[in-house]
Amino acid sequence: MYQYNRKGPKRGVALYSYSAEFGLTKTLEDCFEDVHDMGAHGIEILANTHIENYPYPTDEWVDKWFRLCDKYEVVPVEYGNWIDSHVLGCRDLTTEESYEMLARDIRLAHRLGFTVMRTKMPVISDLLEPVTNWREIIRMALPLAEKLGIQMCPEIHTPSNLKGKMVTDFVDFIKETGTKNFGLNIDFSVFRTEFGENDFKDPHFTPNRPEDIIPLLPYIYCCHAKFIHMSDEFEETTIPYKEVIQVLKDNNWDGYLLSEYEGADKYEAGYEVGQTLRKQHIMLKNYIGD
Amino acid sequence: MEKEVIQSVGFRNIKEDDNVTGFQMKIRLPYYRGIFLSQLRPGTLFVDGERFEKEEIIWNIKGEDYTYEEMKSDFHTHWAVTTPAVLKVKKEGGLAQGYHDITYGFCFTSSYMPPIVQDTLDPDSESMIFMPEFGHHVNKRRLLIV
Repeated sequence: MYQYNRKGPKRGVALYSYSAEFGLTKTLEDCFEDVHDMGAHGIEILANTHIENYPYPTDEWVDKWFRLCDKYEVVPVEYGNWIDSHVLGCRDLTTEESYEMLARDIRLAHRLGFTVMRTKMPVISDLLEPVTNWREIIRMALPLAEKLGIQMCPEIHTPSNLKGKMVTDFVDFIKETGTKNFGLNIDFSVFRTEFGENDFKDPHFTPNRPEDIIPLLPYIYCCHAKFIHMSDEFEETTIPYKEVIQVLKDNNWDGYLLSEYEGADKYEAGYEVGQTLRKQHIMLKNYIGD
Repeated sequence: MEKEVIQSVGFRNIKEDDNVTGFQMKIRLPYYRGIFLSQLRPGTLFVDGERFEKEEIIWNIKGEDYTYEEMKSDFHTHWAVTTPAVLKVKKEGGLAQGYHDITYGFCFTSSYMPPIVQDTLDPDSESMIFMPEFGHHVNKRRLLIV
């Protein structure tokens, strides 16, 4: 299997970015080739989107998956999954049922060579607080995750704050259990300082300063390099990228920055998100120095 | 697969033993991830104004037929974004040759969205705020039957 041994922040792409094109004008292989064109070596997939016949892919498909990784020099970095406790309309899944869903994804992530999972928690409020039994579900899954070398990471995304209760609760859980198999994925939307006139700004949102990430670094197994607007000079105009990457480098953080573009304009006819991703990768390449 | 949710390919009458017993059409899932069947909130189908209730529509996913009642509790069968579902409707004699105006509403739940958004989901009317990655609830298309 292909390996990329560079230390420090590394470039990758979350295939979520292709959501307006995948299955219509782009195949999985097209996405891999586009990532390869950018010189990026990491990939994040969404299990429920990119795995054919999810959650039970054939061995043939898994072989094809590893062939794509080798051919395009791509490391399977992050496996996006959901604990869909609210999947039934009439009742929530029990802790045991939620665990079964999570365990199925842990096994599949491992089968595809992933080491990190973006584990999306089901929410119970407008503040996106996770279900009250999240600790029980995760605790139940820790032995399997440890056995298979998987780190489950909820994503910390705007309007959440790195100093907020949700992050504190996750960090407390990590300290209490002493686990290395549960951590965080920080989405760079938490650092966003600039908003255009027509941009939605959540009233609960306060931007973090780049250095706010430092105390969390031991628990961060990858980041979502969210970007909102790339200028034609290849600068991100809403998030202080240069400073954020400098903090990561100065503190010897080692992991992947997975580009994620969620602008609604990507659904416009003829839009090629690959071109938008390339603009960001010119910037990332400059700041990372790879 | 076509960008339109209601696909032009797959719209035809259903024949059983030389009798036309109904019609079928294909729809794709306009979401960025696949869903389990219990996440579906199927709505009402109108063909030239004729109304077909959600209970009258059979969904075929990966070659298997599912009724509305069966889908409600099925959180193991997964509908992929890359494979359209086939919707089958019983109608003696099927649809007449020529154009048909199709209107079909459906939507789906997401565990990571705030409960207030989930509780007010209505497949037969649009969300308060349109989010392209969730698609439209109500889809329309004018297609030909031969």
